[in-house]
Order: sequence, then structure tokens, then C-alpha cells
Amino acid sequence: MNIKRILCLLLIACMLLSLAACGKGSKPASTPDSSSDSTATPSTEEKPVIDTSERVDLVFYVMGDPPKDEQVVEDAINEVLLERLNATVDFRFSTWTDWAQKYNLELTSGSADLIYIANWINYGTLANSGAFLKLDDLLPVYAPKLLEIVDEGLFNQCRVNGDLYAVPATWPEYTVSGVKYREDLRKKYDLPVPNSIENFEAYLLGIKENDPNQGLLTCTVAESSGLLTAFDGFMIVNFKYPWVNINGLPYGLAANYDTPSDVYDYWYSEDFIEDCKLMKKWADLGFWSRSALSDPNNDEAFISGLCVAEIAGQNPNKHIAAVNDFAKNHPDWESAYIAYGEVNGVIYPAAATQNGTAITAQCKNPERALMVLELFMSDESVHRLVQYGIEGVHYEIDEEGYYNNLSENFMYENFNTWNLRVNEFKLPQRSDAILNELFKKYEELGNKTKWPNINVYGNFTENYEDYAVERGAVSDVMRQYLAPIQAGFVDDVEAAISQFLEKAEAAGLQKCREGFIEQYKAYCAEYGYDK
Amino acid sequence: MEKKARISKARLAEKLGKQYHGRNVAIWFNLAVTIITILLSMPFVKWIHIINPQELFAKLKLKEKVIEALHDSYSIYNILVFVRDTKTGSIGFFSMILLLVLVTMLFFQFKYIYRFFRKKKDTNGNLNLYLVARTGHIFTILLTLGCAGYIPFTTSRFGMQGFSLSPVVYIIGILAVISFACIVLVEAEERKIYRERGFLYEFRKNWVLFVMLIPVFIYFMINAYLPMLGVYFAFTSFNFRDGLWASPFIGFKNFEHLFKADLYRLTRNTILYNLAFILIGNITQVIFAILISQIVTRWFKRLSQTLMFMPYFVSYVILKVLVYNLFEYKSGVINTMLVSSGLERIDFYNEPIYWPFFITVFYLWKNLGYGMVVYLASITSISDEYYEAAKIDGANVFKQIRYITLPLIKPTFVILLLYALGSIMKGQFELFYQIIGNNGVLYNVTDIFDTYVYRITMTQPLHIGIGTAAGIYQAVFGFVVIIVTNYFVKKNNPDNALF
Amino acid sequence: MRNKIKEPASTLVLRFISGTFAILGSIVCLFPFLIIVSGSFTDNMTILHEGFSIIPKKFSLEAYKTIFRAPKDIMQAYIMTTYYTVVGTSLGLFATALCGYVISRNEFKYRNHVSFLIYFTSIFGGGIIPWYLMYASVLGLKGSTIAIWFPALTSPFHIILMRTFIKSAVPDAITESAKIDGAGHFTIFFRVVLPVLGPGLATVGLFLALGYWNDWYRSSMFSTNSDTWELQFYLYNLMNAQTAIKQMAQYTGLSTADLPTESVKMAMAVVATGPVLLFYPFVQKYFVTGITIGAVKG
Repeated sequence: MNIKRILCLLLIACMLLSLAACGKGSKPASTPDSSSDSTATPSTEEKPVIDTSERVDLVFYVMGDPPKDEQVVEDAINEVLLERLNATVDFRFSTWTDWAQKYNLELTSGSADLIYIANWINYGTLANSGAFLKLDDLLPVYAPKLLEIVDEGLFNQCRVNGDLYAVPATWPEYTVSGVKYREDLRKKYDLPVPNSIENFEAYLLGIKENDPNQGLLTCTVAESSGLLTAFDGFMIVNFKYPWVNINGLPYGLAANYDTPSDVYDYWYSEDFIEDCKLMKKWADLGFWSRSALSDPNNDEAFISGLCVAEIAGQNPNKHIAAVNDFAKNHPDWESAYIAYGEVNGVIYPAAATQNGTAITAQCKNPERALMVLELFMSDESVHRLVQYGIEGVHYEIDEEGYYNNLSENFMYENFNTWNLRVNEFKLPQRSDAILNELFKKYEELGNKTKWPNINVYGNFTENYEDYAVERGAVSDVMRQYLAPIQAGFVDDVEAAISQFLEKAEAAGLQKCREGFIEQYKAYCAEYGYDK
Repeated sequence: MEKKARISKARLAEKLGKQYHGRNVAIWFNLAVTIITILLSMPFVKWIHIINPQELFAKLKLKEKVIEALHDSYSIYNILVFVRDTKTGSIGFFSMILLLVLVTMLFFQFKYIYRFFRKKKDTNGNLNLYLVARTGHIFTILLTLGCAGYIPFTTSRFGMQGFSLSPVVYIIGILAVISFACIVLVEAEERKIYRERGFLYEFRKNWVLFVMLIPVFIYFMINAYLPMLGVYFAFTSFNFRDGLWASPFIGFKNFEHLFKADLYRLTRNTILYNLAFILIGNITQVIFAILISQIVTRWFKRLSQTLMFMPYFVSYVILKVLVYNLFEYKSGVINTMLVSSGLERIDFYNEPIYWPFFITVFYLWKNLGYGMVVYLASITSISDEYYEAAKIDGANVFKQIRYITLPLIKPTFVILLLYALGSIMKGQFELFYQIIGNNGVLYNVTDIFDTYVYRITMTQPLHIGIGTAAGIYQAVFGFVVIIVTNYFVKKNNPDNALF
Repeated sequence: MRNKIKEPASTLVLRFISGTFAILGSIVCLFPFLIIVSGSFTDNMTILHEGFSIIPKKFSLEAYKTIFRAPKDIMQAYIMTTYYTVVGTSLGLFATALCGYVISRNEFKYRNHVSFLIYFTSIFGGGIIPWYLMYASVLGLKGSTIAIWFPALTSPFHIILMRTFIKSAVPDAITESAKIDGAGHFTIFFRVVLPVLGPGLATVGLFLALGYWNDWYRSSMFSTNSDTWELQFYLYNLMNAQTAIKQMAQYTGLSTADLPTESVKMAMAVVATGPVLLFYPFVQKYFVTGITIGAVKG
């Protein structure tokens, strides 16, 4: 019975450790309760002295895999940094395995000073929760040049609840969603350009008629794991609706770009039933496999000819990738791209929070980190070192100013520092030619929208803490009940939809909607989108 | 001097040892102390008083609504309610530890009372009773010390003194110390009678054995017991500003995620699949192990063993691809075969009914070779002499297996079974996640606890609490199962029990 | 010595059944593996368009070329994994055997308590994050190779397994007689227990080694430098690049061309498994032949 003794000792150990841990725990966390407001006001004197006498070693956490010449380029960068700022930078990579989990772990426990942020790795939620330092007070003092380089509009897009937490990249990008399709087949069988739902259907049917063995679409659920939609194929409805955001608003709501604050109900509307019936029609026509919900590999489907079009998760970059691949492997194939925005009239650039840099809350040298960041983005030669490697070894600039890669050991932006892109410094690549053309086209179209070239929805961060439970449950209901409806695998569409809505209500759909609408309308009011 | 002390000690021991109604003085005294402690630990006795309420509330920046709901004194039971309502996460962990110590202490106090009034006598007199009593007192003392330390701790966290401790705590502590001393005195006497030794004696006698345990001890402390403190996260709502240990305490709110789910369905699926895996798996492994061990040709034996081991190396990621190629509707292997023999295609991925069977088969396939190894090793360590003797007695091979092999590998079988039962709520995540993936149509029969938790935690990045809460549910469930099963197995044959 | 005595019918029947089951089992287990090997030698396009088959429809070494295009990296991964496996298995076996020995002795009064405490850790845990924090923050081992082999040194499963083996291989009578002869516990352990523990050591050793060989998770969590990556992680990471870049290319300008394909996935499985299947037969002899202890009379 001396288990109790042992338990006893263990408990003592636990208590002691808990005391130690409590003590330790409070240090990396921002500040004790006394000063709960601004977390990093460096100096309250009038004239802060920028002191670089102490050497500082910083860690820059970025996504993806390291380049082969990581050490070589890092050494070159650090040589300059030591000289100029008495600091070094060590790039740490999340690798492509479990990057979401590792990113969060790094913030919770890690030693990163500078870190890559993006809206697709929850920048808003993390910033709200205090993972990053507020930069408003630090920037003017330690990185004034950044205030000149980065447009104020871009900075504002990185604000969360009014506070600035990140420095965005300044290279404007259009990551407009759209349809990527085989132009050569269209010409061959004389089919219409798939720029509307009807035309797309005609396009696919035309191909099917002429070549019954050709796979048409390989839609899966890869792009549909959130609160917007449950099946990739459903994205085709974006041709129809001029929504403020691709696939509408979460929880089955929607709003048009021209009237963002006017939120209406989509899942309960007649339109939704019609759209689902359309999906069933397409599923019955055999546009996608009946096992689509479990399809594991649609990544190479387009470039290997297994499908003739892709409608979900596409952007101009992927189209260019297909173009390049066809040039190499299938010269007679042609890829073309229609953005949903070209048809429904809603085009906007990628949000500034697409790629940005933030300083972690537990950074011990935020001032030096900012100074290093400023150097990376303001000094062209250092910028080139970080983005492209060593000139003459890894790359060269040809007579027309294009980037030419010389060594496989360090490719274009091989540190994955897309967040450090500066419009004026970015070296164009030959393969960017088509991309730039597209961008120009989109920019023109974007200028015609109500808020010219402004990503109205992109800045909104939903704080779902109050209804997190319901949100999770609704998401699960979507996976189970909405996916087969949107994939067209149900027999009676209307009955299935009412069953789905019933389940969603039971899971707490209304609570989510109320919470969301309240925040969203406040957001629109704040930014003036409700005029 | 010393002689005097020894004499008075002996006299005291004698006095304490006087019997009344079959129990000696020390035990009666302890009973009184226990009852007093229990009474004073009841929820209605408030141990923590809030002093300087106005100042405190102002310091914590509390709103009117919140202040109204607060009391001016709390017991350890509901101090966590205070922590939750005022969002003072930094004192949450300590409060929880105090609660745990209190509960453990009460457990031992009640156990003492139960033992006291129990009719059945122990084989070693009162020694077990003394042990229970002493342990209870140690926890009481810990509790007192903990509470004493709680005050300066909260003072430092609040920035000012907000709590004060009721003297009740100190009373309990002092009583515990006194009773502890009395018990020790009387126990020494009884020990001599029953020739049982305490821990120190065991340690001195077998210290080598303890030393042998050191590597494993270090390992489990680092890898398991210290991280176990993280269980606290299940009760907090993590945010980066407050950090891991000071995030707001939210009680059981994280568990709501689990209850909002179709918990019955998830539990049912997880348990049924696990039972199938464990039982069918182990039985087939035993059968194959016995059969393989019967093979005489050595190269054939080793070859077949190696071949059957191979599936272990096929990761579920690749298995998923193979399975998809097998079951796909239009061009999958099975459907092509059906079509060519004139039958209808089967829409496997939209029909839930096939999958429990398929999944079980995949699991068995993957783990057959691996699990077989243990049984093979057991079989080969059975001495040949038994078989020789049986043969001489005229038993044929089947009888040999029945009466020698099976009984001798039964301990291994039971142990492995028991071991697996403790993890009955922990599903084979990789298997289900890869094979079924995000195909919601099949969820009713193939969704297990782990995949569900994975899906909901993927929708929010600050999900530490939910994951830990789910882990606690699985652990508690498995714990209850294993305690009950181990108890019965122990009654049957103590050697087969896990502990 | 060849036995010329005729075996009874029942034995022959059983041998026949065993043989059949063994053959069937081997085929069922081997079959998918053949497909994987064949897939690794098949041209990728053929796999996508025509599925898998036993014999490669269109032979190609592209997959292996892709994997070995950085031969230095993959060699490094092989070396590191071997290092982890050797170090981890030997230390782990030693610790596990010691512990198994202690809790199998009836004279150890606290064996049930220790068993319980060990087993408890397999049910209850704080979760991944505290575990990670323990190694990364508290012990500061992030980036160190220790963090990769230490967490898998032993486990409740191995210890309990070892205990069962020791209990059946070394009854208390033997240790008692050894003690009477004046042996201390360590002597008993090294001279009496270890020699007869063949199957036990082989089994637990095999499980430990396999655990180390197949692991990728700890590299993923704790490595800061690709020099310390395990083999499986190196391969797994190559594969994940495809999925992750596909997700990220939604937002950033990454090219999705030139990425591992279906045939490479198959080749990776072969590359990782190959060495193990080569060394497994050596361990097998402990299961196939038996090591019996001398009779204990009385």
C-alpha cells in the first residue's frame, strides 16, 4: 500500500514544479497584470538612443523547407548584418510537414524573434490573442524607413482591432480564384469559352461527347474544410454571384461586394436549392467520380490529363505552373484561366496580410529585430542577398533586368521570404511575363469596382471565442451532411437540404450567425463599407 | 537525558496502546481528528476570505455585473469559480492543485473511517490502518502548507493582498501533526509483532533493486509525469497574452465541445472498433503464431514470417492510395471485376455499411506479422521437455497445443489484452484519418473519437484546451475500464494482472 | 538427428494446415507490397492513367532518381537513423530489461505499485504540447539529437512485455538459489537472467528498433537542421511538400511543378523498408529456434 508514499512524493514534486513553472510561465508571457495595455513600449524617454553595442542573435521563422545553400547565404547575410547592426539572423524552417501545428508551437514555446505571418495561418486570431508585439510605437523609432516603403493603406490592412502587428510585403498580387481549363480541347471541339455556368456545362458536355474516356473534373473536398463550402465542385457558383468574398460568408450567409454590410441568407434561399440541384445534375452526368469525397490525389490531375478543368483553389500562379509544365511535357496542350471576378465583376488584390512579418511577443530584442527587418526591406543589396542569394553564384541579372537562376542550390526566394517582397526591388522573372499581363488586366477590372482595388473582406478577423463550440459542431455537420448534397450524391435534394439545415440548427447555427453578423457589421461600419 | 526521553516515549506509547473496545487510544484519537478534519473541510466552511474587496476589484478592473456575483469568502471547492469569473488565470493552476490535494486528503480520511468500522480484520493487525492514517495526515499537512503559501502567491499575482486564510486550516494542520506522531509511536510497537517493515528497511535491504529502477524513473518523469501537469490546460482558454499558465480558467467549458458532438456515436464506434481489433487481432495472431511454430522446414518458417511482417511497413498514407484504387467507383479494381462478370458496380465510398468490415480487415492485415512476433517468442521459450513428456504420454499434436502451448501463452495473451483495454477509447487515428479522410458520408459508422477531435481542433488555432480535454475523457474512460478488469483478473490469478 | 519414426497423422494434418495458412498469409501480405515495388518502378503517367499492377506496365527509374537526386542528404538521413536506432535500442533495452527484472521479482515489495505507475502513463497524459515544451523549453533540447532518441527509449508496453518474458524465463527458484550462492542482484541479472532472455530481448529489441527506424515525428518537432533528420522524415517531408505547396500556392507564388509523384511515394516506401527487411532475418533466429533453460527440479 505504499503506493501512497510514492504518490505523495510525486505530488510534492508536482507542487514544487508547479511553483517553479508558474514562476517560469509568467516570464515568457507578456507582462504581469499590472501593465496589461501596451506590451512593448521600449523607452519612455524623449530621445531613445539606438544602441547596437551588444551583439544580438535573432531567429527568423519562415515556412517550408530550407534551401541547399542555406548556410552559405546565411553567412553572407550575417557578415553584412554584423557590420551594420551587430546582429545575426538564423533562418528556421517549419518544413512542409505539420507546418500548421509547428507554427503554433513555435509561437507558444519557441525562440523565434521575427516570424512570417499570413491570413491563411490565422494571423488575425493570433494577433488578437497576443502572440505578436504591437508595432505602432516601435516603427517610427527603430524602422522609420519602413513607414516610407510600405503604403499606409497596406499597414491599415494589417491592423487588428486598431493595433498594428505586422509589416506586409509590398508587391501587389492578384490571387483571384477562377477556372483553369484546357484551351486546346476547347478549340479542337469548337466549344464555348467556359465563362459562365451554362457555358462551362456546355464545355464539359462537348468534351464528353467527343471523347467519352476523358476524365472531366477531379473535385474533392481538399479546398472545402472550413465554414464556407463542403465540396470543391460547388465553387462554380461563384460565376453567378458578385459576392464580397469567394464562396460567400461563413455559416451559409452571403453579401454582395457592392453592399457588403447587407447580409442575406443563402442556405435557406431558393437559389441554394437550385444550385444544389445543378450539382446533382452534374454528378449524374458523370462530371466527377462518385468516390470524389475520398479521392486522395487530384494534385497532378490537370497536368497529367486526367481532368480538363479545375475550379477550386486556383489562382493565376497555378495557371502559370500548368503553362510551364505543358511547355515541357505536352507542347500541344494549352492552359487558359478565367477568373470568377472577370465574370461576376468582383476583383480585388490579395489582402496585405497575405504575406507579412511580425515580431513575436516573447522576443527579447524587438528593437534590433525591427532594425534588421528594415534593413532587409530598405537596402537593395541586402534585400537581394536574402531573396535571391549571392549574385554571380546563385543568380545573375541579364541585360533586360530579368532574373536568371544559376544554381539549383538557391532558387528564387528560396528562403521562402515572400513576406519581404518590396515592389521596387523585386526582380522580374521571364516566366512572370504572362503573370504580369494577367495582373494588369485584373488591376484594370479592379479599378472599376465600387471600392477600386480594395479587398473589402480581407481585413476582417472573426473572434469566435464565444461560440467556438457551436462553430466546431456546425463545421462537422457540414462535412457529414452538406458534402454529399453539394457533391450531388443525394437522391432527393430538397429533403436532404432540410435535413442538413435541421442538423445545423441543432449544432448551433443561429448562435454562430448572430455572433458573426454582429462583428461583421461593426467592421463594415468602422471601415465605411456600409454606405 | 536520552534514557529519560526513551522512557517517556515508551510510557507514551504504552498509554496510547491501551485498548478500548478493541481499538487503542491512538486509533480513537485519530478517528476524532479525522472527523474534525472532514467537518472542517466541508464546502460550507470557508477557508479563504477576501479582504480589501473594493481595492481588489478595482485592481482587477472588474465590472459591476461580475462583482455582484462574487462572494466574500470561498472554500477551496469554489475558489476556482472566483478564478473563472474574475478571469485571473494566473492563480488558476495553484488553485487547482489545492483542490486536488484536498480531494486526495478527503479520500484517505474517508478510507480511514471505512476501515475503522469494517468488520473484516486484516492479517497484519492495525498496520494498514496506520498507513492510511499517516498518508491522510501527510496530505493534510501538504494542504495546510499549500494554503499558507497560497496567500503570498496570490498577493504577488494581484499586486496587493486580496485573500486571507481562515485559522481553520492551521487547526487542521496541527491536529494532523499531533495525530501523526501518535500513530508513529504505536506503529513501531506493532511492527515488531508482525515482523513487517517499513519503507526504509526495504530500501536498505534491496537498495540495488531501487538503483536498477533509476533509468526508467528518469525516463518516465521527463517523458510522462512532468508533462502531465499540462492536464491543467484542458480547463483554460489559452491565449498568447497570458501564456500557458495564466490563461483564463474556464472550468469544463472545453468539454462542451465533446458533449456537443454525438458523443454516444463516437464512443460506440471507438470502443467497438477497438474491441474488434484487440480481440480478433490477438486471436488471429495467436493462431498464426502457433501454426508458424509448427512448421519444420526452417527456411519456409523464416520466409513466411518475414513476408507476413511486411504490411507493418506500409504506411497508412500509401494504404489509402491502394485502397482507393481498389474501391473506386468507375475504374477501381473490384468494380472492374464486377462489371466484367456482368454484375452491378458498387458505390463503396458512399455506402457506410461495408466499411467496418473493411477497416477491421486492413487493421488485421497490417498488424498480423507484428503482433505475431510476441506470441512466437513466447512459444519458443516453452521448454521442449514439456512436449517430449506429452508425446511419451501419447498426446497428439492438437492435444499438445491445447494443454501445453495455450495455457503457457495465456499470461502473455491476458497481459496484452489488458494493456490494450486501457487504451480502449484511443482509436487508431492514422488508420481512420487516411482511409476515410474527409468523407462525411461514412462518418456514422467510421468516425472515431480521435478523428472527430482532430477535425474540430483544425478549425481553431488556439485549441490546446480542446485537445487536452478530449485526452482526459479518453484517459478517464480507459482508466475505469482497466481498474475494473485488472481487479477481476487479479482475483482470478494475481500473476496475470497488470498491476 | 533425423527422426525416422513415422509422425502420427495428427501432426501431419497440422503441418499441412500450417503450411497452407502460412502460404496464404504470406501471399496476402506480400501482394500489396509487390504492387508498391512495381509502382515504384513504373512511369508516373502510367500509374495515374491506368492504376497499379503487379508488373510495371512501363518501366521507369524516375522515382528513384528523384529520391536519390540529393544522395548526400539521403545518406545523411540513413546514417542518422542508424545512429538513433543503435543508440536508442541498446540504451532502451538495457533500461527496460533492468526494470522488467526488478518488477518481476516477488521479493520486491513494491512491484505492483511500480507497475501501476508505469502503466498509468500509457493511459493518462498531458498531451503533445506539454511534452514538447518539456523537451524544447524546460530541457532546452530543441535541435539536439538527444531529443530525437530519448523519448522512445522505452514504454509501458515494452516494460510489461519484458516483465512477462523474465517471469516465465527466470522463476523465483533460480534467483533464490543464486542468492544462496551469494550472488548480488546485478550478478544475477548479468549471469543468470540475460543469457536466457533471448526471445525477450529479441522481441523488445525488435520493437524498439522498428520504432526508431519508422519514426519521423520527433525529427519534425525537434530538428532545427536537416543534418539531424531521420530517414522517414526526409521522405515524408518530400511527400508533404506536394500537399502543402498546393495549399499555399493558393496564396503565394510557389510553382507546383516538379514535385514528387505517385511513383515516388511508392519508391519512398521501398527505400525506407528495404534495410529493415534485410536485417530482420538475423533477429528472427531468436524466435525460430528456442533457448530453453535447464530444468528446475522441485
